[in-house]
Amino acid sequence: MPYLLRRLGFFLLTLWAALTLNFFIPRFMPGSPLQALRDRTHNKLSPAALEQMLTSYGFKPNENVLVQYVDYLKNMVTGQWGISIGATLGEPVTRIVRQALPWTLGLVGVTTVLAFLLGSLIGTVAGWRRGGRLDSLLPPAFVVTSALPYFWVGLLLILVFSVWTGGVLPSDFNYDSGMQPAFTPAFVFSVASHALLPAATILITSIGGWILTMRNNMITTLAEDYVRMGRAKGLSDRRIMTAYAARNAMLPNLAGFAMSLGFVIAGAILVEYVFNYPGLGYLLYNAVQNTDYPLMQALFMLFTVAVLVAVLVCDIAIAILDPRSRERDRSGR
Amino acid sequence: MKPTRITFAIVALSASLLAAACSGSTTANNSTSTGNGTGTSAREGGSTDKASHKQGGSLTIANTQGQTWTCQFNPFNPAVNPVSLGFVYEPLVYVNLLQDQKETPMLASSYQWSADKTSIVFTMRQNVKWNDGQPFTADDVAYTFDTMKRVPATDLYSLWTGAGLRSVTAAGDKVTMTFDQAAGPYFFNFANQVGIVPKHIFSTGPAAAHPDTWDDRAPVGTGPYKVDPCSANNIQYVANPDYWQPGKPYLAKIQYPAYLDNGPANLDLGSGKAQWGSQFIPNIKALYLNKSKDNHTWSPPVTNVAIVPNLDPSHAATSKLPVRQAITLALDRQKIALIGEGGQQPVANQTGVVVPTFQKYYDQAAVAAAGYDKPNPDKAKSLMSGLGYSESNPLKLTIITITGYTDWDASLAVVKQQLKPIGIDLTVSDLAQQTFDDRLYNGNFDLAYYGQAGGPTPYYELRQMLYSKNSAPIGKPASFNYERYLNKDVDALFDKYPTADDAGQVDIIKQVGAAMMRDVPIIPTTESVNWFQYNTEDIAGWPTEADPYAQPAAFNVPDVEQVLLHVYSKSAQN
Repeated sequence: MPYLLRRLGFFLLTLWAALTLNFFIPRFMPGSPLQALRDRTHNKLSPAALEQMLTSYGFKPNENVLVQYVDYLKNMVTGQWGISIGATLGEPVTRIVRQALPWTLGLVGVTTVLAFLLGSLIGTVAGWRRGGRLDSLLPPAFVVTSALPYFWVGLLLILVFSVWTGGVLPSDFNYDSGMQPAFTPAFVFSVASHALLPAATILITSIGGWILTMRNNMITTLAEDYVRMGRAKGLSDRRIMTAYAARNAMLPNLAGFAMSLGFVIAGAILVEYVFNYPGLGYLLYNAVQNTDYPLMQALFMLFTVAVLVAVLVCDIAIAILDPRSRERDRSGR
Repeated sequence: MKPTRITFAIVALSASLLAAACSGSTTANNSTSTGNGTGTSAREGGSTDKASHKQGGSLTIANTQGQTWTCQFNPFNPAVNPVSLGFVYEPLVYVNLLQDQKETPMLASSYQWSADKTSIVFTMRQNVKWNDGQPFTADDVAYTFDTMKRVPATDLYSLWTGAGLRSVTAAGDKVTMTFDQAAGPYFFNFANQVGIVPKHIFSTGPAAAHPDTWDDRAPVGTGPYKVDPCSANNIQYVANPDYWQPGKPYLAKIQYPAYLDNGPANLDLGSGKAQWGSQFIPNIKALYLNKSKDNHTWSPPVTNVAIVPNLDPSHAATSKLPVRQAITLALDRQKIALIGEGGQQPVANQTGVVVPTFQKYYDQAAVAAAGYDKPNPDKAKSLMSGLGYSESNPLKLTIITITGYTDWDASLAVVKQQLKPIGIDLTVSDLAQQTFDDRLYNGNFDLAYYGQAGGPTPYYELRQMLYSKNSAPIGKPASFNYERYLNKDVDALFDKYPTADDAGQVDIIKQVGAAMMRDVPIIPTTESVNWFQYNTEDIAGWPTEADPYAQPAAFNVPDVEQVLLHVYSKSAQN
């Protein structure tokens, strides 16, 4: 219990520190929401009116920074995230986030889980048949692809599967703009086909890491006594591979997986940017471009909280799964 | 319309098909300041042609937004009014800057200025209905302008503060506006750019409490289209069956997808999936025009793109007249337009009058007499050598520009090349948009590359750039006069303009043009255009060079309405 309490305290402290940074760093950026708005309206509207308008939307640059900061903390906690003062001027931030969140969760979330499962499977088999055909082919190949920058992979996929094929696979957006969102086969198909290239990009670049660690863990685990014991008992190869070796080899990877789930919500900014995929990452890019403080703050907070929660869950899971972590704590070190 | 996204690696991979590039040189119409607007408009009735086509068909607009739609339509919100003004909301009178301020009466059927132009009486059109069935009245107009007074955030053109609007009153079918001063130049703003809103909607509930921030998700207007439905990815407009011009609009549906980047928008234009384009297409011949015989382009110039020199004495080099003269003489603008802008922008001239759009204000003879009608590198060289500079001992200057405006970068590369032989070593400094703004506004530059917004006559753009009240000391943000040009005589010319008659105004602009050549406060290079591409396979009635009935790009408010009232589907005519 003290272990968990300590983790919880650490969680709150980190959260506060991150929120504080999220408040101040955007304000150190060059430019201001007013300047961004003037640029977007081509400097043809009255700056005074624009400033008034931003003020009505809750932008108070002249207020004491400390007061702003305290208000900000209060609003972040209570979920009053304010109104966008950037390109989506006037739109409540919660609404914008609600619109983008499912797309990021769908695209990046699903591919992260998929990459983990597929990677672990390939790694398991590769480690089991060390030196086999699969082992000499896939891990090296994916080590190379995981070293590639993913926006570059995205551009390459667009070129090959969208441009060269005359647009067979769409290279941007989340679904065909002519459609209205509805649970019809045509719409689902449209969503799937638009997600294919960005999902492939993320998969290709992230799966290598899982394969490699899983394979190496497998090899160490296979040398363990309990595996030899299993063999001696005459268990089937399949049973030894999955229930004995893979199960234990996967443990260290689970922590990493929990972490990467925390990062899902931040989206893959560059992937969403390259594919113009209107998720949270794309939103963040736009918010920064237009000095949209309320939107930036809300997004940064979400990203921070997601990662911190993932870490916390991971800590708890480890505490449950691995008695040693608790023991160490009790001894007080 | 969205300036630009840097398409770094895309260019390397597929320069031909994906390069979005683009530029801030997409042009906004219209300005805050002032202009013409004389006489009365007598013509009663609809727009320029009679309803003569059958209704039906649809059209897709490809105009890059850089974000998904918020589905707000409040015409007072500058972030969303390009999708509501002209579609749903209408102005009193449409003023076409491409046809010498030709007027088309819209909600006001006619108007009458007082002799000194300090008051104007509009007569409202009869039998106009809001799309919820309520009748449109003069009260709606008065309420719209009163809202701007009550909530200054909605006064986007500073009518109550800058233009000197004193009162707006409605009586019967008449609306009277009075001003503190001659308000002719503001006609363009208050009659043409302000969308009239319904009093019965805007005087109740949240719309009345916060007309500036109200979201207006189901807009009630008098315009030719209604929103039905709007999603983050697409706005669909359907024809308003009760529109006051019978038989119009012709097209039953308008699709306005949210394009996040120029690349996909340009691909859809090339394939004909979208028919109305409004952004820069690089290498337009291969990527657009050659893809179909029905693809056309016509991008009329409206403002200048210019080298802005810092005239403040603290900037020793650029405040010297011979240096500025040498720069403008050394420039071969044909080459800049051809290489930098791919031949898609016309060349500018030293008077700052955009031709051919504002031809009647352009004094060709004076330009020739001043020697500014063609490049003269020899004279430029001798001017620079008079100051002790040469190619081997060059004057070092830095020009700031905006990162991602790839066409401007290309133009500046040409400029740099042309300035080298006369003894100027130009360094191009790409800055992030907001850093650039900061330095431009506060006068922290030697040279800057920039384009202003314009208006229905050259007066608007020139006054913005040159009027001393638009300047500020170095270190303080100037509103428009970034070069810090202070000239009492030129100020006096601008002050005389609002009360001058038509011929007088032309004369004033010519004199300002003469000052531009004498003092070289700004060095125009190319003319910024209204990007416009259109497909004629099914849609006809587009604005063309022969019939420029409106600014053609879809982001122009309220010009977009004129285009919507003219275009029709060929297949629906059978």
